[in-house]
Amino acid sequence: MNATNNPLRQKEDTVNLKEIRENIDSIDQQLLILLRQRMEFALRAGKHKNAIHDPSREESVFRNVTSKESPLLEQKFIRYLYEKIISESKELQHRGLKLVGFQGEHGAWSEIAIHTLGNEMISIPCIEFGDVFAGVASGDFEFGLVPVENSIEGSVTEVNDLLVETSLNIVGEAIIPIHHNLLALPGTNHQELRSVYSHPQALGQCRSFLSRNKLEPRPFYDTAGAARWLAHEQQRSAGVIASRLAAELHGLEVIKENIEDHPQNATRFVLLSSQPRTGPANKCTIAFSTQHRVGALFDVLRLFAESKINLTRIESRPIRKNPGAFAFLLDFQGTADNGVVRQTLERVEQTTMMFKNLGFYPEASA
Amino acid sequence: MTSLKLVALEKKDRSVVTVGNAHFGAGFVIIAGPCSVESEEQMIETAVAVKNGGADMLRGGAFKPRTSPYAFQGLGLEGLKILAKAREATGLPFATEVLDTRDVSWVAEFADMIQIGARNMQNFSLLKEVGKLQKPVLLKRGMYSTIEEWLNCAEYIMNEGNPNVVLCERGIRSFETYTRNTLDISAVPSVKELSHLPVITDPTHGTGKVSLIEPMSLASAAAGSDGLIIEVHRNPAEALSDKDQALTPRQFSGLARKVRALVQFMGGLE
Repeated sequence: MNATNNPLRQKEDTVNLKEIRENIDSIDQQLLILLRQRMEFALRAGKHKNAIHDPSREESVFRNVTSKESPLLEQKFIRYLYEKIISESKELQHRGLKLVGFQGEHGAWSEIAIHTLGNEMISIPCIEFGDVFAGVASGDFEFGLVPVENSIEGSVTEVNDLLVETSLNIVGEAIIPIHHNLLALPGTNHQELRSVYSHPQALGQCRSFLSRNKLEPRPFYDTAGAARWLAHEQQRSAGVIASRLAAELHGLEVIKENIEDHPQNATRFVLLSSQPRTGPANKCTIAFSTQHRVGALFDVLRLFAESKINLTRIESRPIRKNPGAFAFLLDFQGTADNGVVRQTLERVEQTTMMFKNLGFYPEASA
Repeated sequence: MTSLKLVALEKKDRSVVTVGNAHFGAGFVIIAGPCSVESEEQMIETAVAVKNGGADMLRGGAFKPRTSPYAFQGLGLEGLKILAKAREATGLPFATEVLDTRDVSWVAEFADMIQIGARNMQNFSLLKEVGKLQKPVLLKRGMYSTIEEWLNCAEYIMNEGNPNVVLCERGIRSFETYTRNTLDISAVPSVKELSHLPVITDPTHGTGKVSLIEPMSLASAAAGSDGLIIEVHRNPAEALSDKDQALTPRQFSGLARKVRALVQFMGGLE
């Protein structure tokens, strides 16, 4: 019996071909992710360059990539491929897209919040919250979007600390309902799950779900980053808390949706810019610190009460450079052109040791 | 039955166990659905059909206790997700069986009521595990169990702190082979004499014969049962399990109509 007539052999061949094709599909996915990252960096570089056409830089790109020449990747082909990529990058740079930095990876809740701001916004991932602030300050991004508070887990302390110190302006806000999912590798038996990786905020928002199911929370720098990590590491005993978008991006299975401890789970984000907002606005955030004496904070709050200005949030943060001293972040409803608001802010500035107006912006509806 | 402290009727009002809009012990509750969740389409189609036929709650097995290890074992977690979708589509809460202590918390995440099957009635570690929850439990009578043994199993659950127990008579083994089991209708008024817990009947497993399900449902209602649990399949001939005892949606709605009329008639006599 020859090989082609043997039905068993034929079956083996189809299985092999299927496996090879799955590998090719997976590599294509990775190529696209890398290509997207390359475009993102090209756009960031474009914000610094005076002229988009830069022949010497292009030559150095070609030199870099053609040094990896191999029998399967001929110079001619690589050069052709990179000409296409570079021309597409330049095309994107020309379009003057607005870049918005966010902490985390693609599929993070911050990125989902950016999508609600408009189509012309391009989200750029950053590793840390500090990188988002720094990227906006340096002009890499037009904007940054960072979470300040969550309805279950409360303040995002790191962001509030950065807001106290930053010279950036708040120019907008967004309130996004957050519905967490427990994700795992496809085909995972739920009985095998032991630990769950995610951003500490997400783990905190699902604390009772994790405890009910005896799952150990493991902090990770980002929700979507944890999803990518799991897809890469293939750990059968690990789960991840992240968005459905992150599950789709990394081919993970949703074990359980809506695992947050309360269905009314929402996170408030603020939009940062190096320029203050010029359009209409009805909400404001200020940061200040007071002397350490009886009634110092009360003296500030009294000014708002007497002016009948409605406060929406007050947050106190230790000043990291000066332990024992505290800064306050305060949000209130009011417009910049309102005389009473202006007067009140002037009096607050006189009453406090440090004072900073982070900006007026339109209030988001929950 | 001196060992019963929490389950016994003495000095206690009759319990009402609430699952969504269904109140066991106050009104007549009909649970209906397929033996096993086979696919999303099958489950949702059946769920909509039984809702239209007059069911108050859905049933469907995701983890199946089968006589043979080679028989369909259920869809597992996938089945739970499908049941949650059927609940979304119909607004009816669902009961589903748990077999393994390691699955209890997971089943509780999805289900509105957790069923302890006849084969696990005296699985004491499983009883303790569901006793730690507050989720309502449907405790089926073991096929070789006396009423006293059965009530002691309810005592196990309540002793762990979960008061939401509903009992279910599902037939016992006898020398009779014409029926799959012998539905012990006398267990219903017996339980009512001994305990404050609601008790329903399962005429599907109790008889194993389509033709006997309706008469035994009516007999159960007449005996004072607080409800029924009935297997319905959109197309019984295609069912992956228990196909000889599943009703069609049409048979089910006819049964539900007659039973409700009987319950109403009996209510008028009191």
